[in-house]
Order: sequence, then C-alpha cells, then structure tokens
Amino acid sequence: MSGPVAQALAGSADLAARYGTFRKAAHAALGPELVEAVRRAVAEVHGAAEEAAASDAPEAVLAYARRMVFEHTAITDDEAAAVVAELGEPGLVALSVVAALSDAECRAAAVGLPALARA
Amino acid sequence: MSTTPRASSAIPGEPAHFGSVLAHQPALAQAFAELYGRFWDSDVLSARLKEVARMRNARVTECGFCRNVRFDKAVAEGLGEEVVDDITDDYENSPRLTETEKAVLKFTDALIHDHELLTGDVKAALRRHLSPEQIAELGLGVTLFLALAKALITLGLEPERMERTILATPAVPEPAQ
Repeated sequence: MSGPVAQALAGSADLAARYGTFRKAAHAALGPELVEAVRRAVAEVHGAAEEAAASDAPEAVLAYARRMVFEHTAITDDEAAAVVAELGEPGLVALSVVAALSDAECRAAAVGLPALARA
Repeated sequence: MSTTPRASSAIPGEPAHFGSVLAHQPALAQAFAELYGRFWDSDVLSARLKEVARMRNARVTECGFCRNVRFDKAVAEGLGEEVVDDITDDYENSPRLTETEKAVLKFTDALIHDHELLTGDVKAALRRHLSPEQIAELGLGVTLFLALAKALITLGLEPERMERTILATPAVPEPAQ
C-alpha cells in the first residue's frame, strides 16, 4: 500500500485494509489520469512537487484542486459549476474527495506520520 | 463559504447532505462508511481523544457542521461542553484538558495547519502519552477529519444554521441481506 497513512497503519491490518479500499475507491471514481494530475497539482501547492508532467486535465479541475490546499473556504459556486460542466456531479464529488485526501496525505507526509507511528 | 449545495442528492426524496451527495459515488460511499465505522469502533485510541482532535479540526477548517456534531461515544467517555469550549487557540493553558489531550491537539495542529509546529518537544510529548499504534490511529483520524471537512465545505454542504447535535457514533454498516 502506498501513501503515508497506509504506511503508518502497518501495525493495524484491518484499518490499513479499509483505508486502502477507501483510497482505491476514491481514485477509481475520478480515474487514474485525473488522480495523477490532481495529486501533482496539490503537491505543487505544498512545495512538494515531483518532476512536472504534461496533463490534459481541464484547468477548472486543476484550479479547484489547487485551492483545496489553503483556500477551501474561498472556492466559489462558479468554480464548482465549472467542474460540474467538465465532469458532472459525480465527478465533482469524486474530485472533492480525491483533492482533499491528497492534501491531507501531503500534510501527513510532512509531519512524518509513518516514522512517528513506528515503534 | 457557500451553503448552497453544489451537487444534488443522489437519493430520491432526501435533501442534499453529505451522505446523499456522496451517494453519487456508491462504491466510494460504501468504502468510506466501512472505514469510518471501523475507525470509531476501535478502542486503540479512545473516542474522547478522537473527538478532541475532530473538534480542533472543525474549528481550524471552519466546518460548522463538524463543529456542531458530537458523537455519543465520546460524550459517554466524559467529553463535556466545558472541555470542548477550551479547544481554542489557547488550549495549552486549559485547566480542563489533560496533558494527553494537549499532545493530541498539538499533533492535530501540526498536521492540519503547519508541520513545523511538530517540534522535538511536541514529538516527545506525543510519544510519551501515546503508543505507536495509537499515533497511527490518530494520524488516520486527523487525515479523515481534514479531508471530509474540506470536501463537505467545497461541496456547499455547510448548514445555514445548526444546533448542537449529539449523533450516534459511526458504526460499520450491516451487510446487505
């Protein structure tokens, strides 16, 4: 399993498995290409960007993901509507969860959660 | 912050709320319910400590819904409003919060706000009060609280008004018959 939360849960098999299932379901709902683009966009805002990669993701989607990091209360109805126009309502739901989870995982990595949870 | 839902309910006859909007993605909703139920069901970390972290996240992320909900398991473990009221930016000086709760709050702030708050002293206090397994569970909880609060807010699902409400603690859903 990947990601800092899954690594930290190595000693809690049941929770680790359920977290992995949840993360996988969120990623499947958005689709692998958009997940990768969102993950990179969020990491970039956190200053943890990996090597830049070209993306065909709509700008409205990437902008929404970027604002999730420090400006989640400032996202406007128009910005959300622009995402719905690209992805539909189910896509907006998936994007909101994936972007918020990517942000939280970046933060969990920044505090060194796996090392903290190691005996 | 919008209180107008940005996605409709996917459950006929129900208004838009977090569960009915998440139902646009049934597999995701099911996986989340199973994870969140198992997380709250586990007693590795007490419900009271989980709720202390959730309340801090609610305040920092400005999630009004999260802020007004209390889970009954934590209330039964003695988390009263006088303690919750002390989970402000000045929590360090609270006479009601325990040292373990303050260590949990400092970790929560570091994860959701600024990782540089996790100094050597803060790490040492966390490890003094919690086992590695408890820290892992706390990390999972804070990750989920943060992500869910942000998803709820960005989906426009904040209530215009809400009274303080004690809810049944999330549980693992019963398997479908």
